[in-house]
Amino acid sequence: MTTLNVNGVSYTVNVPGTTPLLWVLRDIIGLTGTKYGCGIEECSACTVMKDGSPEKSCVLTVADASGSKIVTIEGLSPTGTHIVQRAWIAAQVPQCGYCQSGMILKAVQLLKGNPNPTDAQIDAAMSNICACGTYQRVRAAIHLAASGAV
Amino acid sequence: MNQITPPAALPQPAVEAANRVRLGRRGFLSTALAAGGGLALGVSVVPSSRALAAGTPAGTVNTWIVINTDNSISMIVPGAEMGQGIISGLPQILSEELPLDWTKLSTTSAPFGAAYSGPFGQVTGGSFTVRLWFQPMLMAGATVRTLLLQAAATQWGLGSAAGLVAQPNNTVLNPATGLSLTYAALAATAAAIPLPLATAPTLLSAGKPYKNIGARVKRPDLPSKVNGTAIFGIDVRVPGMVFAAVKNATVFGATVATVPAAPAGTLAVVNLGDAVAVVATDTGTAMKAAKSLAVTWTVPAGATAISSSAATSAATKLMAATTGVPVAETLGNLTTSMASATKTLTLSYATPYLAHAAMEVVSCTASVTPTSCEIWAATQAPDWVAGTAAAILGLPTSAIKVNVTLSGGGFGRKIEQDYIAHAVKTAKAMGKPVKVTWSREEDFGHDRYRPMAQSKIVAGINANGDIMGWNNRVVTASVSDAHWPGSVANNLDISALDGALGSSGLVYAMAARKVDYQMLRAGIPVGWWRSVGHSYNCFAVESAIDELALAAGKDPLAYRRQLLAGQPRHLAVLNAAAALAGYSTTPPAGTAYGMALSDGFGSIVALVLQVTQITTTTSTTNATTGVVTTTTKVTPKVLNVWAAIDCGLAVNPDSVEAQVQGGVVMGLSSAMWGNMTFSGGSAGSKNFDTYKLARMRDMPVVTTTIINSGAAIGGVGETMVPPMAPALANAFAKLTGTRKRSLPLYSGG
Repeated sequence: MTTLNVNGVSYTVNVPGTTPLLWVLRDIIGLTGTKYGCGIEECSACTVMKDGSPEKSCVLTVADASGSKIVTIEGLSPTGTHIVQRAWIAAQVPQCGYCQSGMILKAVQLLKGNPNPTDAQIDAAMSNICACGTYQRVRAAIHLAASGAV
Repeated sequence: MNQITPPAALPQPAVEAANRVRLGRRGFLSTALAAGGGLALGVSVVPSSRALAAGTPAGTVNTWIVINTDNSISMIVPGAEMGQGIISGLPQILSEELPLDWTKLSTTSAPFGAAYSGPFGQVTGGSFTVRLWFQPMLMAGATVRTLLLQAAATQWGLGSAAGLVAQPNNTVLNPATGLSLTYAALAATAAAIPLPLATAPTLLSAGKPYKNIGARVKRPDLPSKVNGTAIFGIDVRVPGMVFAAVKNATVFGATVATVPAAPAGTLAVVNLGDAVAVVATDTGTAMKAAKSLAVTWTVPAGATAISSSAATSAATKLMAATTGVPVAETLGNLTTSMASATKTLTLSYATPYLAHAAMEVVSCTASVTPTSCEIWAATQAPDWVAGTAAAILGLPTSAIKVNVTLSGGGFGRKIEQDYIAHAVKTAKAMGKPVKVTWSREEDFGHDRYRPMAQSKIVAGINANGDIMGWNNRVVTASVSDAHWPGSVANNLDISALDGALGSSGLVYAMAARKVDYQMLRAGIPVGWWRSVGHSYNCFAVESAIDELALAAGKDPLAYRRQLLAGQPRHLAVLNAAAALAGYSTTPPAGTAYGMALSDGFGSIVALVLQVTQITTTTSTTNATTGVVTTTTKVTPKVLNVWAAIDCGLAVNPDSVEAQVQGGVVMGLSSAMWGNMTFSGGSAGSKNFDTYKLARMRDMPVVTTTIINSGAAIGGVGETMVPPMAPALANAFAKLTGTRKRSLPLYSGG
């Protein structure tokens, strides 16, 4: 039995401690906003916050997640209106939308440490893969969120 | 257009014929009372002559617009949403004629059903959805509005609906009294009005500028995509479900010989014939067990000899053939005309196999009973899905329900049926709902790849650079033949030549031309990949045009203008891109421009890009010896892309720009790094660590100009992929003096 704190809710799950958090979130708890993309920490689609820092849940085990506060895209804002989410809508970022949970959480983290990042800093921080090619709008949305004018 | 007459010549189904009305030459409407008391309205397009020939009945109901009792509007969109924005674009067209509250609109993709079928069945592809549904959406909107106005007149006891106004807050207003009624309050009365209407609905937009079409409408699906609630195929949850992963054959074409017992911690293993499913209580456990599962395979003779190098050898042999090559197109007398050329160039181009690499791997959920089956999947072809399940289960397609979810990218991969079959077979074996999800490694390793292609162009120009002769042979697989063996007459697949023929987008002036085709069968599974034949033919054609410009001593832009003198629409697009770029024959130091034009999917695009090279030096210290090794790497970087598109009419310019940006990125990824290799009958790259896609740091600044030329509306989704590779090769040649005729342009990071 492993106890997890996800979005402020406590869950007790009966899985081996080595199980990746990703699949416990998606298949057992039912929070499907966190996506599977590669399973090898390459694409960042599975990004969640662990005690305020982004982690790739495809390799983060439930044993390692236990005892920490996990925040998924569903828990970023109770109403889905975090400033980064608002900026994402204003800039009409998503196309298929699949990678966007991870993108948004990474952007939240970036802005937390660097409230006004340059393009180069955005490029360096945002390594997520988006096959639809939303990068230009991600950049615009991060600047928009940084400006606060959204 | 808006003249309503009863159907005459076209075949009509018996069902619902009574309440159906023909709309001009394009569509049918019918109404019915929706479950819950709302008004439902269906729209259908008249099948094309091609579909009529195939016996498809006309007048089936395709699209439902339901006015719900809470005054919200639900719309079932006849197309899969894969990121291209169709779930927003079609309602936007409808709203031109039916004023509606965008915040009270919900949209879903149509499930399987003849009722939702268009001339091409239910396949979403070919950048076709807006083209197909533009007029029917206007008609549907006009008809629903007319019904609502008439219903209001009836409820208010007015003799006529004249003067009543449908408003964008989902109400009908009587300006004379100031009274209004909600659409919901009018729905039941409206649904009772018999069709065809006594008088034809008029189009509000007739003869006037559009009010909503052309606006930068915010997509209604995006809130769900930023808060985690959007449901993709991989996200489907059904009560009582279990989770499965698969191990596909290690060699293409191999079948399962023996299956081991279910590994500890899993629920079952299921022999799927071409693969084995491992079922568990979560997908991660199933994937891990599938990866190490000791399956033995029956490998067909020769399968282990399948490789990309063998494919290249086979293609080279086909390229050299002197007889029996099917000719696709001829123009003028090539031999005579070539004799007047002063320079002749022989140019050989090659493009590799590519993976689709959508971010969402293929995944399907199925629930099977002895008499029925329900499927939930991200699919581009729900009618094919129904056929797949019906064949496996021995049931009629009427017993198959297919729910279409959002797709986390499709690019052509989600037309395929392999993952659907896996889910149906696994669910049948388990007797409970099962979601099958392929691991990323299986998704890469068992794709239906964009085929490799070779193109040899022999072109002759005169002293002015005019093309006197153009002889192009294309060697590539036929995706049609791969899916329906023997279906391609005379081994001549015209679709493999998209962009290489005068009939499919090759518009440069040429005095004489011959294009022929050799079908490559290399044993590597191939499929439709975003922009299909254009993806490789545009690379060859637009590279060759630049090489001819160089041979003629002309600037690539000036040279294209010369060859497009008789093509005003293409010329306008090219000029728009060049103007946007501020194109100059002397680019800023250290950079170079490259350009390309593409005509496909009913639209014309051109782009100019600016490329530079970045030198990075990396030092690594050997942990044992302490020796420092310094490596210098020169990598290209696309700084800017200036794109112009003439799609006739942009329904949502913001969506068009998004597709331009997305096409640029997909074109960039594939041109720079895209290369799926094979050896021993299996794929060489299995994940994003070895199959590189562009990331944020690779993203150029893309600037787009949209030309609303007023031409017939064109497709958008695929159009900007093809010109990226040749524009990049052309820019690279300018920058370095080295011409790259083979893709990808660069290997490694």
